[in-house]
Amino acid sequence: MRPEGAPEASEPGDTVTVPAPPDMATWHRLHPLSPLVRTGRHFVSVGILILVLIFANHGGSNNDFITDFVVIGIALIAGVVSWLVTRWQVSDGVLRIETGLIRRDSRRFPLWQVQAIDVVQTGLARVLGLAELRLRMAGGDASGGRLACLRLAQAEQLRERLLAMAHAPGLAPAGAPGAASPASPASPASPASAASPASGASGVAAPGPERLLFRVRSQRLAGAIILSRTGAYAAVVIAGVGLIAGLSGAPGAAAYLLPIVVAMVLTVWRQFNGEFATSVWIAPDGLRLRSGLVQTAAETIRPGRVQAVRLVEPLLWRAFGWCRLEVDVAGSRQRRENRSEGQRLRALIPVGSRADAEQMLAELVTSAPRPTLGAPAAARWKAPLTYHFLGWNGDDRYVVASRGRICRKTTWVPLEKVQSIRWVQGPVQRRLELASIRLDVAGRRVTASIQDRGAAEAQQILARLPDQARAARELNRA
Amino acid sequence: MSVVDPGPAAAPGDAGIRWQRPSGLLLRARRIQAVLVTVPVALAGGLIAGLVGSLPLGLGIGLGLVVVGLLWERFLTRRVAAWGYAERGEDLMVRRGVLIRRLSVIPYGRMQFIDVTAGPVERSLGLATLRMHTAAAASDARIPGLDQAVAAKLRDQLAALGETQAAGL
Repeated sequence: MRPEGAPEASEPGDTVTVPAPPDMATWHRLHPLSPLVRTGRHFVSVGILILVLIFANHGGSNNDFITDFVVIGIALIAGVVSWLVTRWQVSDGVLRIETGLIRRDSRRFPLWQVQAIDVVQTGLARVLGLAELRLRMAGGDASGGRLACLRLAQAEQLRERLLAMAHAPGLAPAGAPGAASPASPASPASPASAASPASGASGVAAPGPERLLFRVRSQRLAGAIILSRTGAYAAVVIAGVGLIAGLSGAPGAAAYLLPIVVAMVLTVWRQFNGEFATSVWIAPDGLRLRSGLVQTAAETIRPGRVQAVRLVEPLLWRAFGWCRLEVDVAGSRQRRENRSEGQRLRALIPVGSRADAEQMLAELVTSAPRPTLGAPAAARWKAPLTYHFLGWNGDDRYVVASRGRICRKTTWVPLEKVQSIRWVQGPVQRRLELASIRLDVAGRRVTASIQDRGAAEAQQILARLPDQARAARELNRA
Repeated sequence: MSVVDPGPAAAPGDAGIRWQRPSGLLLRARRIQAVLVTVPVALAGGLIAGLVGSLPLGLGIGLGLVVVGLLWERFLTRRVAAWGYAERGEDLMVRRGVLIRRLSVIPYGRMQFIDVTAGPVERSLGLATLRMHTAAAASDARIPGLDQAVAAKLRDQLAALGETQAAGL
């Protein structure tokens, strides 16, 4: 792909294909204001606590305030100390982060194993012009790295450079073919990925040419969230609380239920905030996602790291022709403050029309087979409601399967990403001579389920798929 | 561990697959575990019912729980018989389950790590459980009741195969 970079890469002694600029190879501190940003969340919660106490005590004892300020003070001092002892460095294609006062903790993140790099700005960080850099590795929750905080410009520059280094050919050892493979399903048809080697080869990261794929419409997003499950729950809870308050005659009684309402509103808000103004761009270093209203996030999904693509069409959305397109990326998002986010897949299209989804799908999946092979008639007895949506199909690169009653889910899985294949037959299925095949991919419970096939067909699929998956893996490696 | 025909809970796949079975001691291990659960539960249930209600009630409930345990034992036999695994050229197949029958195919190259564990009952009988992990959380494949020597050998064998066939994420 990059002949000009090859001679450097082939030198055995030189592991740095892309020479790190001198300013990155030395040890760096984080931004001095980062303790403030990192304890910022505590400020908010302590502030709420103080307000509650004021209302509860009607200006009672001042001791509460003193303890609160002591708590804030300790948090700040701890933050400053942790800032003093934290430093980072990039050399030999590895990002090192050292931290810890008493127990030194030195972590190294080999850049060729990076799954994605995010730039996240919380509300407070945005005011101060800071940003946090998050690295996602393939492992579990604790395997990611974070640099909080850097100046926004610095963070973006660093991300460009890290991604450029991560892409350098020759950096990837033989065991990680995914890192080096240019022909990956994430950017198969992208001419940009082949046409612009300049961004990585020179080492100095010029942001590659970007092409906008999708941008969410704000009104539609608001409507979609109201019509989603989250919105429905929130509406039911709020209506219930209102009803209780109205029936009991004493609005004070509803005050006890206020926390539930607040939690509901927060959940809806969080989703809106997280998905607001989502835009997806395709660039040589992968897909770039930007989103957020107050807390903004920019992340890059490297080509070849998409494990599965899922199209979700909830019942209410179908009436409007809306759908949601999600991708599964190995490795979890490091976002402790936002657990609910971590449970879901990354939405490339939080809500969009079928045309949007089709266009995005064409970018992600080279040959998108359609789930045209319907389930056998016997499946009608086992799944009378779902039957209509059951289907699957596959070619030599992808398998697609769709299911779901209220919420129709269609999942595309690249065969080279399949981790294991399972055949399952429950008691009802046995009686009806049916069976299901499940394809597991890396990540959080993402499974393409070829549901309720005839027993003979399932057996045939099971006999064929492992070989096909192996062929796809070998093709990908070559 | 012996090579046997697919047995009553025959799973699909080629007829030529050589299914291997867990050790015959697995059934004994499962029976011991069932006894270890049933006896205290029956005793406690019977005692409580006897103290709170009447003596016949206590006896009845105690005996009822023992009967439940015996039924469970009947089920255990079939479940133990359903376990099987087969080493193929490129992947490992594991089958299990009576009510819900499952068959997993795990390519050697996809195995991230392999565990060999043994609980107290298994250990006392010289057995171990082999557990294979892939990058997908859903693909849970394990083989219980292997002889410890067989488990260790299989583990090393699988690890070696995994290394030669390893594939990136």
